[in-house]
Amino acid sequence: MSATRDPEGNPGEPPPVSRVPALIVTHADLAEALVRAAERVVGRIEDVTLLSNEGLSRADLEQAIDTSVKGWKQGGLLLTDFWGGSCHTCGASAARRHGEIVIVTGINLPLLLDYVYNRDRLAVGDLAERLQAKGRDSIRVQRGVPA
Amino acid sequence: MSWALHRIDDRLIHGQVLVAWGARLAPVRIWVVDDGVAASPWERELFQDAAPGIEVRVASVPEAAAAHAEEAAAPGAAFLLVRDLGTARRLADAGAAVSEWNVGGLHYAPGKEKVNDYVYLNARDRDDARALLLAGVRLTVQDVPASRAQTLPALDPALAS
Repeated sequence: MSATRDPEGNPGEPPPVSRVPALIVTHADLAEALVRAAERVVGRIEDVTLLSNEGLSRADLEQAIDTSVKGWKQGGLLLTDFWGGSCHTCGASAARRHGEIVIVTGINLPLLLDYVYNRDRLAVGDLAERLQAKGRDSIRVQRGVPA
Repeated sequence: MSWALHRIDDRLIHGQVLVAWGARLAPVRIWVVDDGVAASPWERELFQDAAPGIEVRVASVPEAAAAHAEEAAAPGAAFLLVRDLGTARRLADAGAAVSEWNVGGLHYAPGKEKVNDYVYLNARDRDDARALLLAGVRLTVQDVPASRAQTLPALDPALAS
């Protein structure tokens, strides 16, 4: 996919950082389904690794996360489904052994799409904060108006 | 009576515990009883922050055994989590009166045999289970409240003999 510029950002801004890699760790096949849904919107998404906690003990899940992130030279993002889940806590344990890895929990489709559009533009810490805000802001309530 | 759930689960605090059992039993405290976690300041902090709105106490087996009776009389519901049958057995040996354990997740590792989708046991696990059963402790296999509860010996014929 080629569109990597933030549509709301400054188009003249030079890309200051290399692409922030992401590992998505979730229950069941949510990670795969989320990426499939995101690809319906923006086309093929490269450089995202997916992992399920299905059937894995703490030790094995931590090991699987460790294996997925150990090639990251300049840190990266761990996107997980919810705070306090095994994907999050095992991710925190594994991330500790590697450079600057930041975890964002509560992944949703708007958050994932925002990651895709900003991963070539922002450093990992700024990107994580942006995604937290985007994920939160995307949850809205529309009340029906009687006809 | 504060003890609402004693659970054997190698993931300790995780989604099924916080969301599914949490919604059913509304714990105000979760005890993570694990010598390894208790000995690691960093892991202690990780688990203490893992359950927003719920107090998490990380304790070693001797600490938890000493506090077990007092917690039983405390207000509000409490959970106690251990990662394996061996820890449950050591907790009993150290004096904690636990009449029933929920067996919620003992995942595959090399050398372990499948009992069901989320319980795998080796010879040592079965020794620990037998010791608990012999002491009159019930071992109930059930991952989430919505699934059927079954006794461990009913699922694992090796334990019935």
